[in-house]
Amino acid sequence: MKWITARRRHPLAGYVVVIIALAFFGVGYAFVAPNADRAQAQTVAAGSEEAPVDISNGKQIFVQSCASCHGLDGKGTENGPDLTGVGAAAVDFQVSTGRMPSMNPDVQMPRRDPVYTEQEILDLAAYVDQEFGGGPAIPEQAPGLAPQRSDFEDESEYKAAKEQYEAAYEQYIAGGDTEAGMKLYMTNCAHCHSWSGAGGALTDGRWAPEIHEATPREIYEAMITGPGAMPVFNDTTITEEEKQSLIKFVKDLQAEPDAGGVFSLDRIGQVAEGFIGWTVGMSLIVACAIWITAKQRAHD
Amino acid sequence: MTDNNTNHDSGAGAEGPDRVIGTPSPAGESLAGATATAHERRHEGPYPAVETHPRPEEMQRKGEKLAALWFLVAFLAGIGFFVSYFSFPPNAEGEPAIADPQTAQYANMLMGGTIALALFAIGAGMTVWARRVMPHYEVSSPYDELPSSPEEKGSFSDFFMQGAHESGFTKRPLMRRTLLLAMVPLGLAPIVLLRDTGPLPGDKLKHTMWEDGMRMVVEGTDRLIRASDLDEVGGMVTALPESHDPEHGLSLNDQAKTVVLLIKMDPADFSDEMTQQQLDWTHDGIVAYSKICTHVGCPAALYEQTSHRILCPCHQSTFDAANGAKVVFGPAHRALPQLPVRVDDEGYLVAAGDFSSAVGPTFWDAEKGD
Amino acid sequence: MSTTPAPKALRGLGNYIDDRFHLAKTGEKNLRKVFPNHWSFMLGEIALYSFIILLVTGVFLTLWFNPSMGHVVYDGSYERLRGVGMSEAYASTLHITFDVRGGLFIRQVHHWAALIFVASLVIHMLRVFFTGAFRKPREINWLIGVAIFTLAIVEGLFGYSLPDDLPSGMGVRIFQGVLLAIPVIGTYLMMFMFGGEFPGEAIIPRLYTLHILVIPGILLALIVAHFMILWHQKHTQYPGTGRTEKKVVGTPMYPAFAVKAGGFFFFTFAVIAGLAAFVQINPIHLFGPFTPTSITSGLQPDWYMGFLEGALRIFPNWFDFTIAGYAVPMGVLLPGLGGMGLLFGGLAAWPFIEAWITGDKRHHNVADRPRNAPTRTGIGAAGVTAYGLIWLAGSNDILSETFSISLYATTWFFRIAIILGPIIAFIVTKRICLGLQRRDREILEHGYESGTIQQLPSGEFIEVHKESSPDTVHVLQSKPPARIDIDSTDENGVEPPSGRGAKGRLRARLAHWYTKDNVSFEGVRPHSGHHLHHGATASEEESVKAH
Repeated sequence: MKWITARRRHPLAGYVVVIIALAFFGVGYAFVAPNADRAQAQTVAAGSEEAPVDISNGKQIFVQSCASCHGLDGKGTENGPDLTGVGAAAVDFQVSTGRMPSMNPDVQMPRRDPVYTEQEILDLAAYVDQEFGGGPAIPEQAPGLAPQRSDFEDESEYKAAKEQYEAAYEQYIAGGDTEAGMKLYMTNCAHCHSWSGAGGALTDGRWAPEIHEATPREIYEAMITGPGAMPVFNDTTITEEEKQSLIKFVKDLQAEPDAGGVFSLDRIGQVAEGFIGWTVGMSLIVACAIWITAKQRAHD
Repeated sequence: MTDNNTNHDSGAGAEGPDRVIGTPSPAGESLAGATATAHERRHEGPYPAVETHPRPEEMQRKGEKLAALWFLVAFLAGIGFFVSYFSFPPNAEGEPAIADPQTAQYANMLMGGTIALALFAIGAGMTVWARRVMPHYEVSSPYDELPSSPEEKGSFSDFFMQGAHESGFTKRPLMRRTLLLAMVPLGLAPIVLLRDTGPLPGDKLKHTMWEDGMRMVVEGTDRLIRASDLDEVGGMVTALPESHDPEHGLSLNDQAKTVVLLIKMDPADFSDEMTQQQLDWTHDGIVAYSKICTHVGCPAALYEQTSHRILCPCHQSTFDAANGAKVVFGPAHRALPQLPVRVDDEGYLVAAGDFSSAVGPTFWDAEKGD
Repeated sequence: MSTTPAPKALRGLGNYIDDRFHLAKTGEKNLRKVFPNHWSFMLGEIALYSFIILLVTGVFLTLWFNPSMGHVVYDGSYERLRGVGMSEAYASTLHITFDVRGGLFIRQVHHWAALIFVASLVIHMLRVFFTGAFRKPREINWLIGVAIFTLAIVEGLFGYSLPDDLPSGMGVRIFQGVLLAIPVIGTYLMMFMFGGEFPGEAIIPRLYTLHILVIPGILLALIVAHFMILWHQKHTQYPGTGRTEKKVVGTPMYPAFAVKAGGFFFFTFAVIAGLAAFVQINPIHLFGPFTPTSITSGLQPDWYMGFLEGALRIFPNWFDFTIAGYAVPMGVLLPGLGGMGLLFGGLAAWPFIEAWITGDKRHHNVADRPRNAPTRTGIGAAGVTAYGLIWLAGSNDILSETFSISLYATTWFFRIAIILGPIIAFIVTKRICLGLQRRDREILEHGYESGTIQQLPSGEFIEVHKESSPDTVHVLQSKPPARIDIDSTDENGVEPPSGRGAKGRLRARLAHWYTKDNVSFEGVRPHSGHHLHHGATASEEESVKAH
C-alpha cells in the first residue's frame, strides 16, 4: 500500500486509474458476454444406427415431458402448438437442439444441451410421427450430433464411432457445389442468420439464432420444418443436393480459420471493428502521446 | 527549487510580471521555466538562455543505453519481418502457401507483429532519447501581431487600387462585363461534358423485364418453379425470371430489379384489406413481392412465417406480407411492389405481368403513371 | 558557450540550398517553432500520421487492385471460392489477400488506419471545440478542418465500396437510394453517377478515381493548408504561468519536439500495424461477392458512417409526402442528406455563431478551460450525445439481438432519446461546469483544503486551507469575465443602433442566455494562506453569495 500511497498524487495517477478501470471493465465484460464456446461441447450419444426405434419408449417420453403443453392427443393447448402433421424431423430438430422440452413456452428458446439421448429422441420422433400424422422425415443422410465419450464404455469403441462419424461428416461436407450453396445461403438465409451464421434480430424481441453449433442434420431439419418464425424451404424448391451444397458452404465458412488474425471479433464485423478502433486503437495511441508529453522530474 | 526534483511546469513565478528572465534570443525567445536560483547553469544549447533541467551525465548514459536497447529490438524485429516474409511463399512457390487461411493467419501475425514491434521500439527509443538524454526546458515565443498596422494596410490598399485603375479593369466596364460574360459558358462546359456519364432516366426505373407468361426460377440453382413445389404453408424462396441466355444468365441490373420473394401462405391468412386485384395476383396462397426495399434498396427478405412480416435488415422497414406488403413499421413509405403470378398450362409458376408499381427506392416520379 | 562547427558535408549541403533559396534565417525561425507540451495537442498529429500511412499503403494496394465490374469466374489460389462468379474488383482483392505476400497485412493496415484517421479527426475536433481554439484568429483553419472531416468520411465510404464484397455493395446501394430520393434531379444524378441503372458496370471505376485521386488530392491540399496556417498562427495553449495571449510556451521544434513527434509517428504506426496483425478487419473473402439480391443481417457501415445509418433507421416515414403525384421521401432525404448537412453545417457555422452572440472580436491564443465556457461546453456535450445516440441507433439490430430487446422498442427508444438526450446532456454538463467554476472560485479565494484539522482555542474544529501554487492561481485567474453586456445602453440611456430591431434583440437575449449563469470572479483575491479562520461554512456562504 505504501507504494500506492507514495504515487497516488503522481501526475499520471489519474490516467493509470482510468486505464485499470477500463481494463477491468473490458475483462469483466469478456466474462459476462455470451461465450461462443459455451455449448461447444454439447453432444449426445450416437445411438447405433441399427437399433430399432422403441415407440413405446417414445410414448413414455411424450407423456412425461411433452403432453403437459401439447396435450396427450397432440392437438396442442394454450401453452403449446398443435403437433398434427409436424413429423419426425421437427421433433428431432426441437429436441436435439435442446429447445424442447421448454420450461417457458412464452419465450423463444435458445439452443441448449439436449435432455435426451439420440436414441430417445428417435423413439420420441417415431411416436409423434406415428400418432399425430406424418410430416417431413428425419434426413438421415445428413450427419447429426457427434458421438460422445460418456456414452461408450471403452475408449476404442468411442474412437471407432467417432472416426466413423467424422468420415461421414467429411464425406457429406465434401459433396455439393460451392457457388450454388453460397448463392442459396446468401439469398435465402443470410438476411436473418447473417453472412457468418451469427444470427440476427427479428421483430418482437425474437431473433434468428446463430447456427455455429448446428449439425448438418439440424440445419437440414430447420429448412424443411420451418421452426418458429422461420419460413419453410422444402425439398421441392431447394432439393436435397442443393441443401447439401448450402450446408457445405455454411460449414466450410465456419470451419475456416480467420486469415486476418486470431482476434476475429466473433465475425460481427463493422460494429466490433469500430469499437476496437476507438477503445484499443485510440487509447493506445493517446497513451503514447501522454507518455511523450508527460511532465517530467529531472530524475524519475 | 533544485535541479534534481523540480517539475519544470510548476516552476514558481517564472516570467511573472515583475521578473526579467533569461536573455532574449535573436529570434525573441526566452526560457519560460527559468528561475534565478543559485543552482542554475548557463545553458550551452541552441536557445541562448538559462537552462533549468539539464540531464545529469549519469542519467544521460542510462538513457542512451535504454534507447539503444530499444533500437536494437527494432533492428531484430525488422530482421524478423524479412524472415517471416520469406517463410511463407505464395501458392505458386510451394508450401506453406499463404493461400491457405490458417497459414495466411500465421504469416499475417508474424509479419505484422514484427513490423509493429519494430515500429513501437523505434518510437519508444526516440521517446527515451527525448526524455532522458536531451535537456528539458520550455521556451516562449511571441505570437505574430496579427492585424497589420494601419499604415501597412493603407499602403497596400492604395497600391492595389492604383494598379486596378491602371489596368483599366475598374474604368472600362464594357471590357469587364464582356469578360465575365465570356466566362459563363466556359464555366458550364465541364458540367455539360458530364452529360454522357449515363443515360437519361426516362421510364427505365419504372419497368422491369417481367411480363405475362414469364417463368420463374430459384435463385442460385436456376431451376424452374412449379406451383406445386411451394406446397408447404410458410414456405419461401427467392426467385428470378427464367433467363434465355444460359451462358451469362441474367445481368446484375436485371437481377437487381426483378428479384422476388415467393411466399406461400394459407389463403385464409390474407387480410381483408387486400383488394380483389391484389388477391387475383396471388395463386393458391402464393404471393410474390419485390425483394428490393422501397426505402433505400436493400433486399428486404426477413420473412417471418408466424407474423407474415417482411423485415428489411438494413433499416428495419417492415411490410405485411398478408396485406399487400403494406408498411407496418420503419422508415419506408411505399408498399413493396407486388408481382402478379399465375400458373401456366404445364403447372409452372409464371408472372402475369410487370410489378404493380416501381421497384426499389422511392424516387421523384415513382408513383406517377407513365 | 561552445559550438561545434557543422560537419563539412552538412555545411556543403546547407550552402548549396541557401545559395539557391536564401533559407538560413527562415529555416532557423521555423526550427525554433514552439509546441505546447500537452498530449491533447498531439491528437491532430495522429490524423496526419494515419493519413500518411493511408497514402503509402493505398499506393501499395493499387499495384494489384483492378477496379472493374467485369464478371469473372474465380480461379485463384483461395480454394473455398474457386468456381464462384464475381467481379474483377473482388477477384483482385482476393489476389491481394491470398497471393501477394503481405497483401492481407497492408489491406488491414489500410482499413485500420482509415478507422483511426477519422476517429482522430473527431477527437482532435472535440479538443479544439471544447477549448475554444476555433475562435479568432483560427476560424478559417476550423473550416478547413470541417472540410477535411467531411471529405474523410466520403473518402472512407468510397474506399469501403471498392472491393465489391457483399456489405460494400450494399453501401453503394444505400448511396444510390439516397441519391434517388432527391426531388426532381435525383433520378438524373443517379443515372449519371452509375452510368445507368444499379449496379451497372461504371460505379466502381468511378469511385476508384475519386478514392485514389480526386479526394486524396484535395485532402492533401487541405491538410497542407491546415498545417501552414497552424504554423503561421502558432498553437493555442492552456493557461498557465508565463502563457499569455502574446507568448506561446513549450518545447521548441528543434531538436526536442522533432524527436518526440518522430517517435509519435512510429507509435501511431505501431498501434495500427499491431491491430492489422492480430485483429481481423473487413474479411471480404469471408463475406463473399456482392449480388444485388442478397443481404446479410447485422449489416453495418464503418463506424464513421454509423450516424447516417442510424439516422436512416430511426427516422419515421411520417413526413413523406407527394406533390401532384410526385414523391418526396423525407424519410430518406432528411436523415440521409439533412443529417450530414446539419452536422457539417453546424460545425462550420459554430465559430461565427458564437462570435456573433458574444460580440467577441478579440484574438484568442490562450485556450478556454471548458468549464469557463459552460454554455459552449454544454452545447458540445449535447452534440456529442446526439451523435453518439444516432451512432448507437445504427447498430440497433445488434443491440436488439445481444440484449433480446424488441427491435421496434430500440427504434422507439432512440427516437425519443435523440430528442431528450441532448437536452439532458446540455443541462447536466452546464451544471457541472458551473459547479467547477464555483469550486475554482473557492480555491482561489480560500486556498485548497489541506486535510489538516485544527482545533481553535474556542474548541471549534476547522480544516486548514493552504495557499495554492502560483501556477494554480494563474490558471484559476485566467477565467474570462463572467458576463458580456452587449445590450448595455450608452451614457445617455440610448440603445446602440445594433441593439434595435428583431435581430439585435435576439442577439441580446442569446448573449444573456450564453453567459447568465457564469460565476463571477470579480474582486476575488487569491488566498494568501494566512487567515486560517475560513471554515467550510463560511466559504459555502460566500460561494452562494457569489452566485
